[in-house]
Amino acid sequence: MTHSLHRSGDIESQKKDFNWFMYQTKGVNDKNIKAKALEFIAAAEAVGSENWGDVKTGPITQYRSEEIREKITDKSRIRGVFTNKEQVVAFLKRIKEKDLGMSVVITGVLSEVLPACKEAGVTPHSINYSLGVWGKKDRLPDDITLSITTMCGHHMIPPKFVKYIMKQVQKGKLTPEAGSVKLANFCYCGIFNQVRCADIIQKETGRETP
Amino acid sequence: MAMINQEKCTGCKICQTYCTVDAIGFDGDKCAIDPNLCVECYVCLRQKVCPQDAIEPVELSNFYKEFQHVMSDPVENHGVTGVTGRGTEEVKTNDVSGRVKRGEVGVCIDMGRPGLGVYLRDAEKVAMACAKAGVKLAPAEHTPLAALMTDISTGKLVDECHDYRLLSVIVEGQCREEDLSKVLMALKAVEQEIDTVFSLGLILRVDENGMNPAIGCLDGLGIPRPHRGKVNVGLGKPLSLK
Repeated sequence: MTHSLHRSGDIESQKKDFNWFMYQTKGVNDKNIKAKALEFIAAAEAVGSENWGDVKTGPITQYRSEEIREKITDKSRIRGVFTNKEQVVAFLKRIKEKDLGMSVVITGVLSEVLPACKEAGVTPHSINYSLGVWGKKDRLPDDITLSITTMCGHHMIPPKFVKYIMKQVQKGKLTPEAGSVKLANFCYCGIFNQVRCADIIQKETGRETP
Repeated sequence: MAMINQEKCTGCKICQTYCTVDAIGFDGDKCAIDPNLCVECYVCLRQKVCPQDAIEPVELSNFYKEFQHVMSDPVENHGVTGVTGRGTEEVKTNDVSGRVKRGEVGVCIDMGRPGLGVYLRDAEKVAMACAKAGVKLAPAEHTPLAALMTDISTGKLVDECHDYRLLSVIVEGQCREEDLSKVLMALKAVEQEIDTVFSLGLILRVDENGMNPAIGCLDGLGIPRPHRGKVNVGLGKPLSLK
């Protein structure tokens, strides 16, 4: 899956949007992963990961941290969100020090991610570069909606639901933050950046949290 | 698959807001899921969106329906690759697996993304275009789509699967760096022939600064340099030897 790679929207907004991942490799290091997964979660929480989760349980916007931790199995996929480069640096330093041997991936704007790697003292091995969207692009939703729906790369967030949330915020029935959490709950992996989403909703609707 | 129990449905149309691919219609009285448009993502089921609890699961009737569901629902594990969702490893574990080596390019084409979905007949067009341009398509133990191919060297899929619509599926393979321009030109041609979109990722080994000069071929093709990337930071063990 490349579900964090192809996010869209304003570049400055994307610069506040990073995803972290722990990956096990089938047949190599995919047994008894729980202890290592917990180390990743501890490192992410220590530096303030705004959202994280396990696709097999769900995100912390919807489930308690303890519940997600308890349910970790070898089929789990642990990943989450950072909103600034400093968090990425601190996270990578901690994980490097732990020397867990699992694959670590950071997705984001390269002009932010690569300097973060350097500062943390890790050496990029490979990169999956996003070359954007090809084909019948005229069939896509508008750019604002896409900037939100692409934060769940599995596309569990229906475009009409984004419009609905926008309207609820416009009517004053939801704050941008509350609306963004409702959207985040549709992304089972926990890689949806609800902080960036709230910013987008706020700008689009002109509504701020009272 | 999912269906709407017509006796329970009140025609409130709330469910339409939650369908990822606009597969729920309304006949003026009741809502119904169009089986030809539904991708079996199960969002309507998992999120319990119907106040009348009218959306109900129905047993998936054949292999292709099961494939459709596993590819469209990230909670599911693919049976062969063992990976959740569309079940491919791409750059994620390249530091451990060494799948993409120096001098090679991993080609990762997310068909139907973002959000339009893809009929497998269109995935076949792209797979065949890639194979013809020099991409060695990934085998079934690495990527799910290969399980539907009659010939992995051509990318041809079994005819029976063509009319199944998925939320997304990945056409995945590798080419040599010197063939990258040819592959990209083939993708530029085939993008005109499909009735959906795809998101394109290129996987490359990089130097200590996160660079690979092979990406420079984009300039000659009028393709903007990428600003986003998924960076494997090289902390996995064992490290690839090449």
